[in-house]
Amino acid sequence: MNEYEIRELCEAFFDAYENRRVDVLDRLYADDCIIWHNVYGRETTRDENLARYHEGYAGQRRRTYNDRIVNTFDDGFVIQYTLNGVMHTGHRGALWICIVAHCRDGQITRIDEYMDSSKFPAWMGPPRRDVGGDASEG
Amino acid sequence: MRKDWQTLELCDRFFDAIEQKDYEILEKCYAPEAIIWHSHDCLYQSRADNLAMLKRGMETLPKTRFKDRRVRVFEGGFVQQHTIHVTRADGFVGHMEVCFVGYVRDGMISRAYEYFDTGQIKKFVGPRS
Repeated sequence: MNEYEIRELCEAFFDAYENRRVDVLDRLYADDCIIWHNVYGRETTRDENLARYHEGYAGQRRRTYNDRIVNTFDDGFVIQYTLNGVMHTGHRGALWICIVAHCRDGQITRIDEYMDSSKFPAWMGPPRRDVGGDASEG
Repeated sequence: MRKDWQTLELCDRFFDAIEQKDYEILEKCYAPEAIIWHSHDCLYQSRADNLAMLKRGMETLPKTRFKDRRVRVFEGGFVQQHTIHVTRADGFVGHMEVCFVGYVRDGMISRAYEYFDTGQIKKFVGPRS
C-alpha cells in the first residue's frame, strides 16, 4: 500500500468508528487482525472487538475522533487523537489516545492502542441520577 | 528526502543514552526548542524540565532498560513502542508499556509525545513508592 492508500484506510477506519458503521469496520479489519490494548495488557481478535463495539458505547450518546495527527510508515500508520464523548448524562469527556496500526491489502492487520485508564472516571463523569439509585427514594 | 537510517540512529541514541546514563549524549538529542508532552497530564514539558527529570532518574535509579523496542520511521519523525523496566533502589523492578512519538528537525528531537497508562502506575513505581 502506498502512503495515500494507508491514509485513506486510516480515515475510513476512524470515520466508521465515529459513525457507528460496524459493517465498514468489519470490512476494514483483516481476518487475522489482532488488537492489543495497553490498559488491559492483552490481545483481542477482530471478532471479539467487533462484538464488543456497542458495549463500548454504554452510557455514551456521541463520540468524535478529533485532532487527528496521522503519520504513515512503510506498512502502517500512527495516529494521535482526542476522543471526545458526550454521555447520556450530558457530561462531556475526553481521552487522549495513540494507535499504531499495521496494514496489508487495504485492511488493518494489527492495532496497538495506548491510553490512560486513570482518566476513565473523568471521561464518563458522574452516573445518571435517575438510574442505579434506591427505588424507595423515588 | 527521507533519511530513515538517521532517524533510527537518533532514536536508538536517545534511548541508549538514558539506559547508559550518558547525559551529555542525551542532551544533544533534543533540539533547543524541544517540548515533551505526556498523556498523564496532557501538558507540554520544557526541554530543561524534561532533561532535569531524566537526569534525576539517571542519578537515582540503579538501572533503566527499554525492552522490546519496535521502531517505525515516518516523514519527519518516528514512533517507538517499548516496555520500560526500571530497577529501583530497593530492588523493585517496575515496568510500563510506552508509546513514544518523536518529531525530528535537523537530526534532533524537536517535539515528543509519550503515552502510557498511569492507571497501572503501581506496576511501575512499586508498592512502597
